[in-house]
Amino acid sequence: MTTKLTTLIPILGLALLGACAEEEAPPAEDLPTGNATGGEGNTFDHPETQIDVWELLDRLSEEGPPRYTSRVHSCAKIRYGTIGRILASRGVNLGGAGVTAGGLYATGDQALGAPNYGARARESVDLTTAGASRLFDIFVAAAPEIITQMPLRTECMIGGIGTEMFDTSGACTADGISCLTGVPATASHIELCNLTVQRASDPELGKNMAVAVIAAAAHTCE
Amino acid sequence: MKRRIQQLLFAAAIAGGATACGNSDDPAGGDDDVTGDEDAGVGSADEWDDRLGEREIDYSAALRIASLRLTGDLPSLVEVKALGDALAVEKRSVYESIVRGYLDDPRFAGQMFRFWQDTLKLGDDPEFDTAAAFAAQVTVEERPYTELLTAATGTCATFDEGLGTFAAADCANGVTTHAGLLSHPGAMRQYYGNLAFRRTRWVQETFACTAFPAEIADAQDLGGNALYTAPWPFESISGTANGGLVDFRDLSAVACANCHATMNHMAPLFANFDEDGQYGPAIAVLSPTPGTPTASMLDWLPVGEGPAWRLGVATPDLPTLGAAMATDPMISECAVARVWNWAMGKGDIVDTLSTVPSEVITAQVADFQAGNHVLKDAIFAVFTADDFVKF
Repeated sequence: MTTKLTTLIPILGLALLGACAEEEAPPAEDLPTGNATGGEGNTFDHPETQIDVWELLDRLSEEGPPRYTSRVHSCAKIRYGTIGRILASRGVNLGGAGVTAGGLYATGDQALGAPNYGARARESVDLTTAGASRLFDIFVAAAPEIITQMPLRTECMIGGIGTEMFDTSGACTADGISCLTGVPATASHIELCNLTVQRASDPELGKNMAVAVIAAAAHTCE
Repeated sequence: MKRRIQQLLFAAAIAGGATACGNSDDPAGGDDDVTGDEDAGVGSADEWDDRLGEREIDYSAALRIASLRLTGDLPSLVEVKALGDALAVEKRSVYESIVRGYLDDPRFAGQMFRFWQDTLKLGDDPEFDTAAAFAAQVTVEERPYTELLTAATGTCATFDEGLGTFAAADCANGVTTHAGLLSHPGAMRQYYGNLAFRRTRWVQETFACTAFPAEIADAQDLGGNALYTAPWPFESISGTANGGLVDFRDLSAVACANCHATMNHMAPLFANFDEDGQYGPAIAVLSPTPGTPTASMLDWLPVGEGPAWRLGVATPDLPTLGAAMATDPMISECAVARVWNWAMGKGDIVDTLSTVPSEVITAQVADFQAGNHVLKDAIFAVFTADDFVKF
């Protein structure tokens, strides 16, 4: 791919020069525009799904060539269904309605980029602003349930013993954070969690905020 | 896929020429930063190689992603701690053990079902779901991936989400001999359209991972305003000159035949499915011409031409098309590339042009082909590849 791309750059340059060299030539006949347009009377609807070449060039410049981008992880949003399973496995009641985690999840499918197969559209991998906002709202609403239910969830047990999100002093626990995020808690995780609790106007509010912030940050990408 | 990017870049070059000449403020064209500056990134091999070299193995991060994709849920605390607490020399084997467990987990069936819903763009409808269920069943049961193109029975399967189990069932849409998903009623219904081109495009993009044009040869100047680039003889598809209703030989603006040379040889195979996906003895798709008449074979191909997968690969019916596709190396590479992109969090390989260069997945494709096209094995190979566990 490297060779191909480096070969293409001079081609692009030559094409630019070539175009300039012929700028005195008369323009071609008035031709229909579009990437799949035939002649007059012979033009039919074609799906406009062609990649914009300028967007492609920008993408290659910013993100790198495919030989690089294909080998690194992208920050794909978590699938709509997966969000539901994460919530449920951490103790959230998905049957809730209204401004509950379950209610916000149930009504948030479009904001969270659920697929629309009827329109031949698969689930998006891109996290939108609306999706990120809804996801955070869901985690804020879910936090009290997660804190209460975590010790009872088998997913968060070690040797049959449940895990508390906060210890008796109100400090964040490493295992609680690990179970919430799916990765081992680091010292930074614990510090940020505790700071969020301590800086809140109310300890319970602080705990809820800490859980919501950690979950939202951890689950921005799948 | 590389060819696809080359085409687009070449188009950009041509378009860029016009733009450059129209920009009196910048005699050089003003696009050097985009196309020619090594520091911009595209032309710099070292920069990207360096970045790849800077990645470090993080099995815990990889496990979280693997769990979310293979089970649809976070790893359990036991798994997180088992891997996190493992000695450095043991981490790989612990990681691989957990991933193997995910592939045997009932939840994996559900994930495969959803993977295929997305890949096929068929779902949330009982009939559509039987296509994803069949593909997922083939994957989970470690049957050859090529069955998606060749299976004569059991292609309208059902999936029990609660149990994570599949039940095979035959499609009942009038087809005498099925060809995997190529004759699936849900797919034919979802992709119904004029001259069966939407179905043709779906088959090409889903299983070959490239948009049309699917075949490219040296450009020929046939006297029009566009060059002809398909390998087929130009007269091998219809135009108005031989009685077709659409002039696919038009060269007045673009060369329609560049894509349609291949499309027109495939499309007739899907023409007898009506808008409900039912197969009948007569052509059931329309021509997008005044009066929208039912299409005839002459609309695609002149007398003497027959359906084909590619130039030199005649496929008179759907089973032979499926068989031809099953032996095409591009189909194998596409399957692995789709798994690779899924694992790495990319969008659809065609819609977003998330290209996977062949050299990136050479080993996985070779193993896939040598191992009887078992996609589940390819999934394990991808989720344990060096690139997957590096960040």
